[in-house]
Amino acid sequence: MKYLVRALLYVVLVAPLALFIVYSFTEGWFFPAPFPSEWTTTTFQRTMDDPRTLGGMWQGFVIAVIVSLLSLILAFPAARALGLRQFRGRQIAWLMLFLPTVVPPLAIGMGLNILFLRVGLAGTIMGVSLAHLISTLPYTVFTLSSAFARYDENYEHQALALGANPMQIFFNITLRMMTPSLVVATLFAFLVSWSQYLLTLLIGGGKIITLPVLLFTAASGGNPSTIAIKSLLFILPPALVIAFTARELNRHGNEIREQY
Amino acid sequence: MKFRPSPYLALAPALIVITVMLGASLFYAVLESFGIIRVIGQDALSLDAYRDVLSGTGAAGGEFWVSLGFSLWVSAASTIFSSALALMAAVWLSSQKNQADTLAINGHLAFPHLAWATALLLLFSQSGILARWAAALGWIDVPADFPILVRDSFGVGIILHYSIKEIPFLALIVLGVLRSQPVGYDVVAENLGASRWQRLRYVMIPQVMPALFAGALLVFGLIFSSYEVPALLGIGYPRALPVLALRFFLDPDLRARSEGMVISLIITLIVLAVAVVSLKLEERKE
Amino acid sequence: MTKIEITSLHKTYPNTRIPVLQDFNLSINAGEMVTLLGPSGSGKSTVLKIIAGIEQPNSGDIRFDGETILNIEPNKRGAVLMFQKSYLFPFLNVEENIGFGLKMQGVSPETIQAEVKRMLKLIGLPGIEKRKVGQLSGGEGQRVALARALVTQPKLLMLDEPLSSLDTSVRLNLQAAIREIQRELGITTIFVTHDLSEAMAMSDRMAILLDGEVTAYDKPETLFHRPPCVRSAKFVGVDLFLEGESSGGWLEAVGVGRVRLKDESKVGRSVFAIRPEHIRIQKEEKENSLMGVVQSCLFRGEALEVLVRIGNVMTRARLPMPAPMFAHGENVFVQLPAEHLFEVAA
Repeated sequence: MKYLVRALLYVVLVAPLALFIVYSFTEGWFFPAPFPSEWTTTTFQRTMDDPRTLGGMWQGFVIAVIVSLLSLILAFPAARALGLRQFRGRQIAWLMLFLPTVVPPLAIGMGLNILFLRVGLAGTIMGVSLAHLISTLPYTVFTLSSAFARYDENYEHQALALGANPMQIFFNITLRMMTPSLVVATLFAFLVSWSQYLLTLLIGGGKIITLPVLLFTAASGGNPSTIAIKSLLFILPPALVIAFTARELNRHGNEIREQY
Repeated sequence: MKFRPSPYLALAPALIVITVMLGASLFYAVLESFGIIRVIGQDALSLDAYRDVLSGTGAAGGEFWVSLGFSLWVSAASTIFSSALALMAAVWLSSQKNQADTLAINGHLAFPHLAWATALLLLFSQSGILARWAAALGWIDVPADFPILVRDSFGVGIILHYSIKEIPFLALIVLGVLRSQPVGYDVVAENLGASRWQRLRYVMIPQVMPALFAGALLVFGLIFSSYEVPALLGIGYPRALPVLALRFFLDPDLRARSEGMVISLIITLIVLAVAVVSLKLEERKE
Repeated sequence: MTKIEITSLHKTYPNTRIPVLQDFNLSINAGEMVTLLGPSGSGKSTVLKIIAGIEQPNSGDIRFDGETILNIEPNKRGAVLMFQKSYLFPFLNVEENIGFGLKMQGVSPETIQAEVKRMLKLIGLPGIEKRKVGQLSGGEGQRVALARALVTQPKLLMLDEPLSSLDTSVRLNLQAAIREIQRELGITTIFVTHDLSEAMAMSDRMAILLDGEVTAYDKPETLFHRPPCVRSAKFVGVDLFLEGESSGGWLEAVGVGRVRLKDESKVGRSVFAIRPEHIRIQKEEKENSLMGVVQSCLFRGEALEVLVRIGNVMTRARLPMPAPMFAHGENVFVQLPAEHLFEVAA
């Protein structure tokens, strides 16, 4: 029984990957052939040669980088205050930051669409990045604030008493102590932005085409091999991140919650 | 030297960004739902869109009640299935020392919905892998013989997607509770003569129920309000509320646009209500 | 060597009403080692944090050799603080930890290396430069933290319960080591602890801090035998206080009875105290004895601790060994030798 459950666990994890890989390197595999008859990289090459594929990946990457950086800069001081200080209104600040995680992206996106059209941010990289920021910021704040709640400020006091100035303390102590959580928080923000479809669609308005937008279009009625290749490119960053941050991920699993 | 900056100053940038964008987007959403659409110079307040949607007569409103029912059915079924499976998975995992399994669960969690839905499509569609294997085994002759599991009118594909995809999130919640309990309870219960089944029924499940229920409500809200999966794995009629809302929001007919906004606001209200209940539950737990 | 003067320090934390420090005064001679002894919450650590610049006082002044330090930036004050936990930076090795302060000042790597080596020798752990801090034992960690604090040659060394989380034997060794190093370097030092025996062992002078106020400040032996007031006396282990009218060499102690005093000229309302070591318990009546009933009798190794009720007052006596055991409920005579009774302020 135990082995069955575990087998199921890994099959469910590995099957989609295997499926994408097999489909990516076949062509003309039609019903009712149970297995592909020939292997080819033609479709793969064709997809990669299509400027929209690389363009989409590049735009998605740029947006995700902007979003992670902005999230980090905005979240760091906020998380520190929430994790280390008791103050009047703390609960309200928590709720405000919690709100974007429950307000549906659909409603946020539709409203922002109107706002950004008015202020000229619609259809721009910056506009899409700002929209993504709403959904990444709460998670970045929560991840970092829970790290700050475990953080012992006396390390900073110790450095101060040893003659370090505030700047030196920030770079030599605070950043060093927070590095693991900062890495995790940045990667989360990156991944949430990377896989964001709806907000990109509503704010990008056909001008900003990222990989998920391409994938969605393909999946709505395209060639299985093309779908598989785009899926593969799409899940590559998450897969890499998970592989490299396994341990941290185990600790922060509950904070990631649901975000894709 | 001021060693500690004010917490309000530290929170201000993040809170301003969230409040301004969230506030403005909701403001415009409400405005348009009342038929005030500035781009076309329409600024008379009207309740037409609300009336059309709720009475089931408008362009989009005609489908409203059907879609609401469909969304509720799909969300409820997925939530129940995934909760039950998550509970089993967590109980099983809590007896494992192996960190790799927890990691695998986390791997599922980090797998994007869009990719997972795509995989289901390739796997379960009538010309998908499973259909081909069935044909190879001689069970079916043509794709149409294969049961319609995705893009079906009962939302089976969507339910299948969420029932599995939401297991990790809920399982980790349950696991968190189980692991934060003093190790003793189970041992004490065993020592007092409770069988394996009784310990599960009377010790473990009561402990995790409040957290699981709160988490399940969040999952319900998420499924109820999400667009991509029902758009990919669903069909044209009946369709999920978010699909309906977006379709009409993007409609060139501006009357339909207001109705799309109304539906989106109704979704938001329902999800917020569910979230409030979930938060209250979590507060009571503490 | 630096002389430290702290005058009328006041501190109340925001969002609280009760002051942590009220009119705190302390003056420390150059090269002197002073302990601040007090229960938790008495404000000991706050004093150190204010000197280090981690907290700001509401009012008062701190002077190093006559110069106020309150407007000097915390990292330039030359007052180094060491905590109960070593707070060795986990991402640096031993050498980098000890050299941290010098690196912040921009000292050259060669000098830092030489200084670290000298410090490791001083603390008795030569050759562990490349060790990771996670591999150090609790005692080693505190030694390295001490070296890290001393390497910048601070004007004032502040130790905040540095030994409280260590095992007894390690702790006793480190007490001796710290005292030795402090004497050798002649560095002005404040040592904070809640442990009476540690406080006495570690200080030239000892200040008792209760509710944010220094209630007594003197040599350890003086404070131990002749604490000036009831609160200080309680903190150094006295628990029999006799209050009443005295005249003609007798004290009419309320709730206890008549007690003979050494000083016959004492007249009026006063409080006398006696250390538990000086109380005698006997089966027959002797000079200056009162009737008592034994409540419990515990063997403590170096002494026999007898809890006894006199009238409606309970007290402890510590009898040197060997001593006879007493039974619960036994009627005894409690002798309070007149030469050991001393007056305390109420």
